[in-house]
Amino acid sequence: MIEFFVLLIKVGFVLNLALVLASTCTWIERKASALIQDRVGANRAGTFVTSDKWFLKPFLPIVRLLGFLGVINTLVCDPLKGISKEDFVPEGSSKFLHAAAPVIAVLPILLAFGVLPLAPDFDLFGFHVRAQVASINAGVLFVLAMGSVAVYGVAIAGWTGNNKFSLLGSLRAAAQMISYELPMGIAVVALVVIFGSLDVYEIVEKQGKLLWGVIPQWGVVLQPVGFVVFLLAGMAETKRGPFDLPEAESELSAGYFTEYSGMKFLMFWLGEFAEIGLFAVLLALLFFGGWHVPWVTLPEGAWWAALIGHMVLMTKVFMLCTLQITIRWTLPRFRYDQLMNLGWKMLLPISLVNLIVTAMVKVLV
Amino acid sequence: MSIAGFIISFLAIVSGIGVVAFRNPLFSAFSLVVNLLAVAALYAVLGAHFLAASQVMVYAGAIMVLVLFVLMLLNLKTESGREFSIFKVALLGLAGAVCFIGVVPILFSSFAAVPQHQLAQNAAANEGTVKAIGLELYQRYVVHFELASLVILVGVVGAVMLANRRRGEVAMPNTAGVTAAAERSPTEPSPWEQRQARGGKI
Repeated sequence: MIEFFVLLIKVGFVLNLALVLASTCTWIERKASALIQDRVGANRAGTFVTSDKWFLKPFLPIVRLLGFLGVINTLVCDPLKGISKEDFVPEGSSKFLHAAAPVIAVLPILLAFGVLPLAPDFDLFGFHVRAQVASINAGVLFVLAMGSVAVYGVAIAGWTGNNKFSLLGSLRAAAQMISYELPMGIAVVALVVIFGSLDVYEIVEKQGKLLWGVIPQWGVVLQPVGFVVFLLAGMAETKRGPFDLPEAESELSAGYFTEYSGMKFLMFWLGEFAEIGLFAVLLALLFFGGWHVPWVTLPEGAWWAALIGHMVLMTKVFMLCTLQITIRWTLPRFRYDQLMNLGWKMLLPISLVNLIVTAMVKVLV
Repeated sequence: MSIAGFIISFLAIVSGIGVVAFRNPLFSAFSLVVNLLAVAALYAVLGAHFLAASQVMVYAGAIMVLVLFVLMLLNLKTESGREFSIFKVALLGLAGAVCFIGVVPILFSSFAAVPQHQLAQNAAANEGTVKAIGLELYQRYVVHFELASLVILVGVVGAVMLANRRRGEVAMPNTAGVTAAAERSPTEPSPWEQRQARGGKI
């Protein structure tokens, strides 16, 4: 019974983390894009709040500061707008599938968070706790599998839109996501060959060691080519950055979610930003040493060490989220043939050669 | 098998019926997706995590997406009620029954061969881990594995042949018109242009 409650707490924690990551990414997107484009960005909502009530007065400066930073805009205005808008269903499409598509797009992303360890193991109140909902044997594979299931949400959304732009957008998205899954998977396989495990926890633990006693044995050090391939393929998987062909507004109005409005529309954005967060967590765990700080060893099993580890991991995750968003706002969009050429003629051969070289080095050394 | 296993099996059977019962081909494809996911969940419940993940990745994630792709592009309409004669239904039912009766003894014999406590032990000892599967695949079943990859290679070559046929690079039977178009010199007017030159009359 107690295990059940522990599991419930873990699920609540991970779900909360996914949603907080998504909303933080939304905020970074707002303000970072403004900085990059030399604008001010969201700074009005909540900035001019006044009240005569004495018990509200102490909070006013905080609210004004948050409003000035654009946080109120992301946390309050976006959801309010989404909820109060008309929920439009295009004529002649299946109402059930139209409502199911955003859920199918979001659910796999949230599920994938469940197999990622978020802190080192620790002991608390006599329990040995692992900060991971489900410790399954093929953790990395599960995340990749969930990423491929998320295609269905997009495909169904485009089909229920019942117009050409939506359908074209969803076909583009499906083709793009299937194409980039291959180099992504092969890059992970090369990493798995080096660390000798599919379990994310073990991979992270092995990155805590030092190479020749000097260099931290991070994935990015051992697999630089694999890291580049994984980063590019992952950004294409999230359908963002220079890879946002499925929602290219200059050609397809809004792509696969053209016919979506209100909260269903926001669900797609939630899924997309949660995917950015998921991908950043995955990158941090696989290539950037997870909760390890180079040349620093924290005591094993202490709860405060786990807390510090979690904070280190989250710092890395936020940096990687910012990196993705910066790339998205700096580079222009690809043409579709360029996208396909990059996937099939560049990334796939590079990742295959990388895998073969890695395997040879592993056997010889 | 736990309660979750029975619920998932039920879902798999219901979605399997959905595949053949839905009139709209797209809904059939969706229930096939649900069926594949349910079978993957069944693997996971039985402790074969690697098998579950690869089932989701390969079948639900890649192959079914391509099937949906084609169905969406073709934009098929809902199949109107087609009537089958009693004789045909009876014949197909008989064939199904024969297959089912053929499968049942194998199922029971395999369950009988592996005692219940052994199954639980296997799940506990992570029989379905990547290492165990990899050792089996590359040691005991290595010939089968290589044969399977050969079949896939043949499929890939065949797909390339079919895709290239249109450019006239590969001479194939039954493509006389296409190869003629490819062999025609660029300066020679096409049949359509010749027809236009004649004033649209043949």
